[in-house]
Amino acid sequence: MTTTLTRPSPTPVPVRTSLDQRRHRPSAPATITLLLGALYCLLPVVWVVMASSKSAGELFSTFTFAPSTHLWDNIQELSTYRGGLYWRWMVNTVIYAGVGGGLSVLISAMAGYGLAKYQFVGKKAIFYVILAGVLVPGVVLAVPQYLLLAKVGLTNTYLSVLLPSLISPYGIYLSRIYAAAAVPDDVIEAARTDGAGELKTFLQIAVPMMKPGLVTVFLFQFVAIWNNFMLPYIMLGNDRLFPITVGLSGLLNQGASQPAMYTSVITGALLSIIPLAALFLTLQRYWQVDLAAGAVKA
Amino acid sequence: MRLHTSLRLAAVVAATALLATACSSGGGDETTDGSTGSGEKVELTFWTWAPGMEEVVDAWNAKNPNIHVTVNKQDGGDPAVTKLLTAIKAGSGAPDIFQTEYQKIPTLVSSDALADIADVLPDGTKDHFAAGTWEAVTLGSDAVYGVPQDSGPMEFYYRDDVFQQLGLQVPTTWEQYAEVAEQLHTADPTKYLGTFSATDAGWFTGLTQQAGASWWGIDGDAWSVEINSVQTLKVAQYWGDLVEKGVIDNKPMYTPEWNAALNDGTQVGWLSAIWAPGVLEGNAPDTAGKWKMAPMPQWDGDNATGNWGGSASSVTSQSKHAKEAAQFIAWMNSDQEAVNILVSAGGLYPADIPGQAEALANPPAFFSNQPDFYTLAGQIAQTVTPFTYGPNVNVAYSAYNDEFGKATEAKKASAFTDAVQAMQTATVDDLKSSGFTVKD
Amino acid sequence: MTTTELAASAAAVRRRRRLAPYGFLAPAMVLFALFLALPIGYALYLSLRTVKVSGLGLGKGARTEIWAGFTNYTAALTDPEFIASVVRVTLYGLLLVPTMLGLALLFALLLDSRRTCGKGVSKIAIFLPYAVPAVIASLLWGFLYLPGVSPFYYVFEKLGWDVPDILSAQWVVFAIANIGLWGGVGFNMLVIYTSLKSIPSELYEAARLDGASEIGIALRIKIPIAMPSLILTFLFSMVATLQVFAEPMTLRPLTNTISSTWSPLMKVYRDAFTRDDIYSASATSVVIAVATFVLSFGFLLLVQNRAFAQESRS
Repeated sequence: MTTTLTRPSPTPVPVRTSLDQRRHRPSAPATITLLLGALYCLLPVVWVVMASSKSAGELFSTFTFAPSTHLWDNIQELSTYRGGLYWRWMVNTVIYAGVGGGLSVLISAMAGYGLAKYQFVGKKAIFYVILAGVLVPGVVLAVPQYLLLAKVGLTNTYLSVLLPSLISPYGIYLSRIYAAAAVPDDVIEAARTDGAGELKTFLQIAVPMMKPGLVTVFLFQFVAIWNNFMLPYIMLGNDRLFPITVGLSGLLNQGASQPAMYTSVITGALLSIIPLAALFLTLQRYWQVDLAAGAVKA
Repeated sequence: MRLHTSLRLAAVVAATALLATACSSGGGDETTDGSTGSGEKVELTFWTWAPGMEEVVDAWNAKNPNIHVTVNKQDGGDPAVTKLLTAIKAGSGAPDIFQTEYQKIPTLVSSDALADIADVLPDGTKDHFAAGTWEAVTLGSDAVYGVPQDSGPMEFYYRDDVFQQLGLQVPTTWEQYAEVAEQLHTADPTKYLGTFSATDAGWFTGLTQQAGASWWGIDGDAWSVEINSVQTLKVAQYWGDLVEKGVIDNKPMYTPEWNAALNDGTQVGWLSAIWAPGVLEGNAPDTAGKWKMAPMPQWDGDNATGNWGGSASSVTSQSKHAKEAAQFIAWMNSDQEAVNILVSAGGLYPADIPGQAEALANPPAFFSNQPDFYTLAGQIAQTVTPFTYGPNVNVAYSAYNDEFGKATEAKKASAFTDAVQAMQTATVDDLKSSGFTVKD
Repeated sequence: MTTTELAASAAAVRRRRRLAPYGFLAPAMVLFALFLALPIGYALYLSLRTVKVSGLGLGKGARTEIWAGFTNYTAALTDPEFIASVVRVTLYGLLLVPTMLGLALLFALLLDSRRTCGKGVSKIAIFLPYAVPAVIASLLWGFLYLPGVSPFYYVFEKLGWDVPDILSAQWVVFAIANIGLWGGVGFNMLVIYTSLKSIPSELYEAARLDGASEIGIALRIKIPIAMPSLILTFLFSMVATLQVFAEPMTLRPLTNTISSTWSPLMKVYRDAFTRDDIYSASATSVVIAVATFVLSFGFLLLVQNRAFAQESRS
């Protein structure tokens, strides 16, 4: 039998009615420890905000945590760089991460559902083979992927970055867990008894039940593509197709005879964090990963 | 095997001696402004990382509606070459035109990445360049693998205000340089006359070039590797002593920390190249007018300098429009209008000799305190000594990073000379294991 | 409907059901085959090849690709630089993984505790570094590490403390591990926190009735329940450790103490991208992948019965 006790959907945390109010006293050491952790994680981000408000000269001559007044100038300078190329990179990144993340979720959800809800020959083998994909680092795959995509003339296109991003072993792994935990077998059986086909059952019954988990898979795949560097770096020659990571790297590495554009890179980095931070804040309840949902037995 | 024969002929002078000698400009004929004849519109792509290229390309596109060039800015590091080589292996994906650093030309030619444009280049292009510079793009053969764009003769940059304040003399020999370094550091222990950077192999190569080293050579059908020559060892020992004494810094250049040191005046000198004003202006804009440029300190009486940086424009072997691409790169690097833009927008020192006078009439804005900047630079440029690059510069350079990284951290002069030996071993082993014929 | 028709349609349903999982898996399998399996196969092929140059190696046809047998592998396994990089990364992993998972568990427990304040802000703050690409994160920390520009060293100097340079040879592994910690602690905290939240509150109430302290509940109830998540985060952290690349790569130009072969993957990168030798790079990466596989597969076997107990019982 299955238990939905640990379904990864963001079920509201049960209100823990307490029997002993005295235990609710806030603990200073606990709070301080947590806030120290938060401070540690925030410091470099605060530094970026400060640094991106400085002019090129100030960046290297004034105390690093003191803000300055050049944030708007820096943004304008970055925006006018080669006719607003930075914003084009931003749009590209959103396309790669958004479209790639969306399609990747669909593919992962289908695969995860298939793996969780059916018994078939080769199931274990397929699952482990897909998981093993995690073991091979992207640095190694980029060149062979390029050579293979070049054979069909797809390099230097949006597709050359999108297609390899669609397969996500982690996404399939998580979807399998979500499908196993969130979609009870008897619900599927009931749908079948009503005469629904397999695909219809998946789309109309399973997907809605898995939805919160799938949003999570989407978010993580979105971030993974957003932060990807090696694949687009190798695939793309046309700088109008670059994502932000590759574009900023170019601003940083202009050869010995040019000063690195530190202010533009730092300002660009700050602006590129903002959309992700917004995703964190608005979709807070989906940012949770139950890697081992099935393991908890009631 | 035309190339082989001619290479053999060119054995001694081979490869990339960047003698920017101000020899006569030759015919001085104008390159045609790219009228293709056929009405067909040609699209060319151009991979580069240098700033200002968009401006030059815009000027070209305005005048040549039938040959349209698109700039694609790339990352300027070593991986840009790998990216090109991967596209060459794949058979597609390479641009028509590629910005090539001189030291990478042998590697790219050896991978068949660059087209020989000898037959399609406008007549007289060669006459625009110094013989040594031209050899860098021909490797001493009859083939032509690009058109030189800029060069980087090395000079000594120093903070004039600090020198005057502390009563220091501008060093003209390396012996004096060592003395001044010590005087400065003693007077103010936070200040250094320079730093030995283990992350800038091209910089060290230039220093050894000045001392008369040439790390590779062609001897008949075999390569010779002479990284551990007496000249290189002399330079390594010299810097090792300074670092061991602690009078020269051992931190890498081009770090945020180094930028800060340029700003706050703790790096008082910089052994750099002709393009240094742009870097100083970008990194330490507030120090404008405080710097001055002088010739490199010398080893013995004769004036010599090395090269750091500089690149050519090449047509790749995948380009379907080599003729049009060759027209464009010839124009870009030898037409007066284009050269003016290269200087004003790109801040580089053009390899085109006839164009220098007009383009370099005024000193760089950052050095307006030194009106004869380019006159002096022109004299220095004539003293660049010959140097030959081999087909595995990348291996030697990455060995430099690792070995000198350890040596500068150890701060021992003996570690510096050991590092040179390790570079020699790594470079020779790599050539041999790839199957190159190497002369022992 | 006749009985034969009924039987036929039932058979069709059964066949569809038998084929359905393959249909669901088809897109993933096709993409996997094209963009992972094929490139991996290609890398395997390349790892057995090498390039031979003749003479000066200039001009057309001077380079030919030939079979190399296992020479790339023997070269990789006996290369002192590779072995040194494995040792360094082992040290890095021993530093990073326990610290990161320890802190992730601690923060998760604090977030789940009823006696902590500022949870909402802290949770977001600790997770925020996850949004920063490793390359950018390393650049930021680089600024914070270099004594000449670091606000920390500025403060240390004002206080008169003599703090050693964190990018010096003895300390640089801490500098790199710290970036990994900064970027990774939030994600792992979230995983563990999610598993803690799924614990029914009745369990605590029962324990509290028995007089258990918050710490006692954490140790005796929460941690055992979070154990499967901890095991899996450990596994993924181990894989990430063996593949550490972006952080040392970005810090490298800032210091003399990170060689171009600091981590195994950096050696792969140097061979493939600086030396244009995709052949040895492939061999080395196959070695890394196999080692990762051996290490993690045994581990996965250990936990898989627990991790997937639920569905296999159905």
